[in-house]
Amino acid sequence: MSAVGTPHRYVPLAFLAFLLVLPHLLPNAFYVHILVTMAIFAVLGSAWNLIGGYAGQLSLGHAAFFGTGAYVSTLLVNRYGISPWLTLGVGGLAALLLSVPIGRICFRLQGPYFAIATIGLGEALRMLVLHYREITNGAQGLTVPFKGNAPWQLQFDSKLPYYYIALAMAVAMVLLARWMERTRLGHYLRAIGQDQGAAEAVGIDSARAKARALALSAFATGAAGVFYAQYTYVIHPDSVFSLGMSVQIALVAIVGGVGTAMGPVLGAIIMEVFVQSTQVAFQGEYPGLELMVYGGLLVAVIRWCPRGVIPWVSRAYGAVIGRLPALVRRPVPA
Amino acid sequence: MSAALLEVDRLDKRFGGVHAVAELSLSVHEGEIVGLIGPNGSGKTTTFHLITGFHRPDGGRVRFAGRDVTGAPPYEVCARGLCRTFQVARPFRELSVLDNVVAATLLRHPAHAAARARAEALVRTVGLEARAGTPAGALTTIDQRRLEVARALGTEPRLILLDETMGGLTPTEVTEAMRLITALRERGLTLLVVEHVMRAIMTLSDRIVVMDQGRWIAEGTPTEIAAHPAVVKAYLGREYRHA
Repeated sequence: MSAVGTPHRYVPLAFLAFLLVLPHLLPNAFYVHILVTMAIFAVLGSAWNLIGGYAGQLSLGHAAFFGTGAYVSTLLVNRYGISPWLTLGVGGLAALLLSVPIGRICFRLQGPYFAIATIGLGEALRMLVLHYREITNGAQGLTVPFKGNAPWQLQFDSKLPYYYIALAMAVAMVLLARWMERTRLGHYLRAIGQDQGAAEAVGIDSARAKARALALSAFATGAAGVFYAQYTYVIHPDSVFSLGMSVQIALVAIVGGVGTAMGPVLGAIIMEVFVQSTQVAFQGEYPGLELMVYGGLLVAVIRWCPRGVIPWVSRAYGAVIGRLPALVRRPVPA
Repeated sequence: MSAALLEVDRLDKRFGGVHAVAELSLSVHEGEIVGLIGPNGSGKTTTFHLITGFHRPDGGRVRFAGRDVTGAPPYEVCARGLCRTFQVARPFRELSVLDNVVAATLLRHPAHAAARARAEALVRTVGLEARAGTPAGALTTIDQRRLEVARALGTEPRLILLDETMGGLTPTEVTEAMRLITALRERGLTLLVVEHVMRAIMTLSDRIVVMDQGRWIAEGTPTEIAAHPAVVKAYLGREYRHA
């Protein structure tokens, strides 16, 4: 078998191996924290990309699914002592259920209705969580009870296990996108993203395809919300349900490159470097300034590289791969 | 005679004060090529929109293969075997030519490999094999029309509605397009064709329906239509000379 020997295979595998040892090469836990954040946003951006990228349906409310996962999980963990390993699925499912009526209502229509509805959904949930204090603890948010090093409770005293779990989720999302690109649903979503009318003319039920993509997207986003709650121990309506969170999720995919499997991963890396450097540069002196910087970044990307950084990166990657030798010589065909 | 494959019965559509299609009836039988002609704005494209579910008619019925498809959404009409092309080609611009057709062949071949094989054959049928990997948006207008036909064929229709696929083609290209349409009929396909290129429509059609201001004004064989006084007055004028 020559498959693993070709640069197309061994370069990604080598990169993955590098990611596995990377945290051990870093000077302290803060850098591992940055890696975990990148991985979480890679998952979120990839999830957003299923509906926002491939199908071209702009969502500015993915915080709704993220926050639903985080809250449903934390409530179940706190009240019933259910293991977060199980609530990863339950939180995802709750987010998926939330996506169903949105798809039903919006996806027969064309135009900005979906984008507007998603903003409304996120904000409505934030208000509900603030209002129903008896259940949600209102603006103070919820805390995951600290159990020390309790792997079955998805709690660890080191950041490393969190990193490996988040990395596994991110890799799973990339593989999901890669796989979907070759399925009927993937082809349908890309066709819809290009021209919904023409897609319907060749027999594509656009509302159904979009609803499926949104359900998948919501599930993954909800599961990421569960992980986030476990990782940070504290969730607030103004953090997990905020419009800022929704924008950041969308931005990750847009900066990296919508409608590609690796785009959101690149976007997550770039955005996190950007976020950290703006925080260092401004040292929290001008509150709200980061938001203006994000806005500026979004405008710049849409103006100068609407496909994100992926075209440059994949060109460079292709050039590198083209020069690398095959590790196993292919048998010369007779 | 057997029942028609497509039966349009007193179809009616208004846009505000404009009576775009008025009580239009026509039928297409299996294996036929029917031409639909009329001056610009006479309601031909609107008729296509109404038949294929892109517009909902205000009145009248559309029956296809014995079933009422009036007001059914486009994807359902297509799944039943009635597919249309657009007057202004609407390719999936950023997708490759091949992927454009794959999006259509997946309807009947859910497995990717089968859909791809089918699409490759169709890309060859319309002569785009050299451009299979090109993004569809980079094609010339003519090639985009070819792609439009390949994509429609990808859904394996029984009846295909061609909306002015020959506009702007050179005489040689028209001849080529006519050859393709004849080949489609020989494969057992039924066609309803809107076309302004008279040489093509007169040669290809078994029957021609003429519209003017949303109404049916005449119907007959190409020879009958060419001589029909109302048609000559409304439309043909002196433009058409028998080739």
